[in-house]
Amino acid sequence: MKVTDIVQKLDLQVFSGHEGLGREITGGYSSDLLSNVMGNADAGTVWITIQTHRNIIAIAALKELAAVIIPSDEKPGDDTVSQSDVEGIPVLGTCMPAFELNGKLYDLLSGS
Amino acid sequence: MKTYRADLHIHTLLSPCGSLEMSPAAVIAMALERELDIIAVSDHNTTLHCALTASIGAEHGIIVLNAAEVTSAEEVHCLVLLPDREAAALFQEWLDNNSSNVPYDPEIFGYQVVIDREENILQEIDHFLPAALTASIDQIEAEAHRLGGLFIPAHIDRPSFSITSQLGFIPEDLYIDAVEVTGKIQELLYPAIRNSDAHHPEQIGRRYTTYLLDSPSFSEIAMALKGESGRTIISVTP
Repeated sequence: MKVTDIVQKLDLQVFSGHEGLGREITGGYSSDLLSNVMGNADAGTVWITIQTHRNIIAIAALKELAAVIIPSDEKPGDDTVSQSDVEGIPVLGTCMPAFELNGKLYDLLSGS
Repeated sequence: MKTYRADLHIHTLLSPCGSLEMSPAAVIAMALERELDIIAVSDHNTTLHCALTASIGAEHGIIVLNAAEVTSAEEVHCLVLLPDREAAALFQEWLDNNSSNVPYDPEIFGYQVVIDREENILQEIDHFLPAALTASIDQIEAEAHRLGGLFIPAHIDRPSFSITSQLGFIPEDLYIDAVEVTGKIQELLYPAIRNSDAHHPEQIGRRYTTYLLDSPSFSEIAMALKGESGRTIISVTP
């Protein structure tokens, strides 16, 4: 499954990093502590976080994550958006709260 | 020039996590016992106990700086030290305007009270003081500096509420005057200081920093952090 597929199926907003919409997804990871993501997220995963600080892009680039999804209708700042465009890592958004998004993404990725 | 001991991170009973024994008078009494010259009162997202502590401190020869331990939207704890009472009042207004006003049950987390010199309760704060502000870490840094203050990410080596736990690493475009470290001090890009983060009287001065200054004041501390005109950090406690 590609990033563009989950955008379509979960009706996600694409804020930035359009260049990376063709990235292949290997799984998901949810955490709001960037230090935790740095230590534990696997390459190719989609990361769900409420954090919108620009460091999320640096962490996503470092860990070669497929995309970042921000739940609860939160918006990334301008510097997060521009850094996402530079790295080609999509920042996506949804008005769904994290719990609901986690469930739907899990179902989608596990094929249930 | 002389050496001065400073502990710039002390809570009072206004912080819900601060012991009820942490009245401004008790803080000064313990600061005297621990031979501190300069302290800062840094309650969570409030400066409302700075003035009283400063006036009691002045009677006992202890300089009290105006400060707050601010929680950013990212849940990073940052010490903001203000140059004077006027700046602290403006910063207080800014804190109030950026509060997320999280409702609060004192029965669970402890009372948040502002007291006077006779220890009468003047005000009870009805929102949860340590809750994240709506302001980002960048906005806090900008406001601190706009008011002539100092911006010091707190306990950066702790696994919770620190700039490294929340943001993974220190963003290099933040203007950081110093970082507060609790454990071993590594080679850092910023001046490193140690403070107690005391919530109980006996914790006051358990960690402090010794500065070489011309006099005990905010501006001298600011110069020491920049290493200006011979002012400097001499040592930190282990």
